[in-house]
Amino acid sequence: MAKKTIITVAPTGAWPKKANNPNVPMTPSEIADEIYDCWQAGAAIAHLHMRDDQGNGTMDTAKFEETLRLFRERYPDCDIILNLTTSGDIHADDDIRVAHVIKLKPEMASYDCGSMNWLNSGLFLNTPQFLERCGLLFQELNVKPEIEAFDPGMIANAAYYLKKGVLKAPLHFQFCMGCANGIPGSMKNLLFMKETMEQLCPGSTWSTFGVGHCALEMLYGAVALGGHIRVGMEDNVMYGKGQLADSNRQFVERAARVIREYGNEVATPDEAREILGLKK
Amino acid sequence: MSWGPGFFYYRCPSCGKKFMYAQDLMVEFGADYGKCPFCGTMGEYVKDGPRGLDDAEYFEVEE
Repeated sequence: MAKKTIITVAPTGAWPKKANNPNVPMTPSEIADEIYDCWQAGAAIAHLHMRDDQGNGTMDTAKFEETLRLFRERYPDCDIILNLTTSGDIHADDDIRVAHVIKLKPEMASYDCGSMNWLNSGLFLNTPQFLERCGLLFQELNVKPEIEAFDPGMIANAAYYLKKGVLKAPLHFQFCMGCANGIPGSMKNLLFMKETMEQLCPGSTWSTFGVGHCALEMLYGAVALGGHIRVGMEDNVMYGKGQLADSNRQFVERAARVIREYGNEVATPDEAREILGLKK
Repeated sequence: MSWGPGFFYYRCPSCGKKFMYAQDLMVEFGADYGKCPFCGTMGEYVKDGPRGLDDAEYFEVEE
């Protein structure tokens, strides 16, 4: 039987604006429509960020709520897994970062497993207190953490929280490759991340994405190494050299083509739920 | 949360051309990182950061 590969789409993110690419969905209405479009193209998971009315990243619960309301009203047939960020604004305090998770209880939410410098200009702070609180809260709410690891140390940190009972196996990692200040995106590094995860957190599943030049390398690498893949304008506003992306669907369609041409199948949302151990 | 690639932006002190290198290509370029792709002179640092609205002024060095 062909292996199932999960496509996650991250349509918006916290930094790109219309000025960077006019096709980045920013409003709740645009994001709701984009989720559906990407689901039709093969995305099983949507990783969502919100923007305020000026287009800046925000953790405003009302924006998440409005987006999900519009999405569910317009597309009741769509069974995509919703994965809400807990890191959409580096200035948000810990309470605001989890308020929408408590209220909306998504199937998944991001869990950034360590702190780092954000584009050499600010702190991306994920304190031990925040990570312990998030891990326990997610268990209580039955929200699957998507453990974002920007370097191998964050995998070691996840292993620590696993031993401590803050996280519960099996874990699901998102290897974030090529972000400024994170691990550079290369096949050698992707393999190292995978092997580190297998040593420290055996039985875990993983996905990856690459920003910039390594985007395609990570896509092919994920499929070849048996992982899953994330694509979308959160990570890349360019589809190719000198070519702005037309839509998030364009990225999802390319990922689906690569998966199928490799001989795998694109996982449906329900198949992704089974792979990740989600209880719908 | 990701934030896209970071870049170093340069101006060539010899030929005056402007160019940029993605930070994630430091390994690939090694000691040549920051050199002018047109004349080989080491560029003068202008700024660094994410993709900007003035990127069209800079030649993106990729290989």
